[in-house]
Amino acid sequence: MTMAAVTWQRLRPVGRLLAVLVPILLALGLVSVGAIILAGPLAAGFVGDNVPLVRFVAAVTAVILLSIPTAFIVIFLELKVIARMNLRIGPERVGPYGGAMSVVHGLKVLAKEDFTPLGVDVTVFTMAPIVTFVGAIMTMLVIPFAPGLFGLDLNIGLLYLFAMSGLTVVGLLMAGWSSFNKYSLLGGLRSAAQMVSYEIPLTLSLVGIVLLAGTMSLNQLVLGQSGSFLDWNIWKQPLAFLIFFIAGTAEANRTPFDLTEADSELVGGFATEYSGMRFGFFFFAEYVNVFIVSALLVTFFLGGWTAPIAWPFAVTMPSLDPLGLGVGLLLGIAALPVVGTLILAAPFWLSSKITTLQALVIGFILFNVVAVGLVIGYAFVSFDWVVGLFWFFAKAYAFVFLFIWMRATLPRVRIDQLMGFAWKWLLPAALLNIFVTAAAITIVSK
Amino acid sequence: MSIPETIPIIGASWDDVLFVLFAAVMLGSALLVVTLRDIIRSGLAMIVCFGSLAGLYVLLGSPILAAAQVLVYIGAISVLVLFAIMLTQTKAGPARLVFQTQWWAAALAAVVLVVIFAAVVAATDWGAVAVRVQSTTDAVARLLFSDYTLPFEAVSVLLLAAVIGGIFLAKRDEVRD
Repeated sequence: MTMAAVTWQRLRPVGRLLAVLVPILLALGLVSVGAIILAGPLAAGFVGDNVPLVRFVAAVTAVILLSIPTAFIVIFLELKVIARMNLRIGPERVGPYGGAMSVVHGLKVLAKEDFTPLGVDVTVFTMAPIVTFVGAIMTMLVIPFAPGLFGLDLNIGLLYLFAMSGLTVVGLLMAGWSSFNKYSLLGGLRSAAQMVSYEIPLTLSLVGIVLLAGTMSLNQLVLGQSGSFLDWNIWKQPLAFLIFFIAGTAEANRTPFDLTEADSELVGGFATEYSGMRFGFFFFAEYVNVFIVSALLVTFFLGGWTAPIAWPFAVTMPSLDPLGLGVGLLLGIAALPVVGTLILAAPFWLSSKITTLQALVIGFILFNVVAVGLVIGYAFVSFDWVVGLFWFFAKAYAFVFLFIWMRATLPRVRIDQLMGFAWKWLLPAALLNIFVTAAAITIVSK
Repeated sequence: MSIPETIPIIGASWDDVLFVLFAAVMLGSALLVVTLRDIIRSGLAMIVCFGSLAGLYVLLGSPILAAAQVLVYIGAISVLVLFAIMLTQTKAGPARLVFQTQWWAAALAAVVLVVIFAAVVAATDWGAVAVRVQSTTDAVARLLFSDYTLPFEAVSVLLLAAVIGGIFLAKRDEVRD
């Protein structure tokens, strides 16, 4: 065996992954640096002249790119949190605390055979996962993540949202029909019945909020809730929050409403015949949907990116002008890590039990922790979009956790209970909510 | 360097190109709806047709109409149509060529529709109509609840009657002891 083969044999899976990925990333970096130098000025002129078009393209790209890590994080949380709730350990081999497990899942799905069974309607069978995936991620285009950080500020944002989520049902129906399998067909039928039924209370529950805010733009809805956590819509519309939460769970096909792929009754529902990356798209869309429902709950009812309480102390940061330091800046960048490491290592070095090398390593790690903390703290104080992103993702992932908790806890409902609940309880409750809100607004405005 | 107002060689504006694109997709998919032999594929082509119509509404400066089009026609009506097809047919059964038995009725309806459309197109002063307006949610609501209140209410009564009729037809007779 050659030297390279022996080295390859000794590497652990993560090491092998890195050994492949790092050269690719380096090559890509070199190529992009070259491209920036060559085409940079031309591109800058084009961007400056066509801001709306460039913004739109960038937003669509960002949404597609964001959906991948989001799905990975939600899948990992689902594996780990449910394992802990079942008194299991869950994934722990790949990456720290098994954190790269869902990435490996994704690679596995990519590497599997993409099988097309006999008798399927090939065109429709292939289009179905794409329609579902696109319908799911395009809703992210109007969600405001932070002040000024949204794809589009549509004044019909709410309508756009529900129009796009309607596309998901079409994808599931296509998958169920084209698979040529009675379990798939049943899964597709159930998904259509369930989503069409729950879309009505879902949409109607937000009418109260639109009445109060007087706008359908998601960005304006968030701005209207700014202030403290007492200004959030959840206090004005508690019933709507409950309805939206339940109907949203059904729209995202989550337990206890995951009848479209109830494996004890339907094998795998609409996705029974799918394998490889076509199945991967369904899988991705499902977990992106969990995040989207959480993000929408936060946007509509919990103030979006606004902080729960306003920071009580006025913070004025000294205005930093790094270029003003001149050569001093370079010296500072070169000297600061060394000096910081030495200073932080000093107390450990004085202790008799720790060797010099160990003390230096501890000092270096401590310095890194402090430096990263300072940079994040500086960004948190100086840029409002960093604060916005922090609060938005904190709230959204709290709801993701809640959805996973429900999956670990609740049993699945029966199909007749599901439909009866939507039409007999949620729909009248949503109508009552609209009536009460409108009456209250009329009384108050008089 | 900004994008030119018109396309360099052809000389048509971007709006015209988009219009031609959407119109071509719409007419093509509409043809597919009536010519495809597989009824589910016809339904899916109908969804594409509705989608490109929504694109035309956006070009006309009425995004709210486009969103309503997608929401109602794709999200609700098409899905219900597909749902009904799936409930009543099996893929192994005689799903194909069902429509071709009624071609004379379809031809009659098509001829009548063409006559009506031709009359409307000829009677309209297109120069006066073709003014681009930005229709906002507020303006639509104002019109709906001031000038068109009576038609609006009449439509809701009609829909309610249809719902009650549907329930009456679908209701099973009480089982007698």
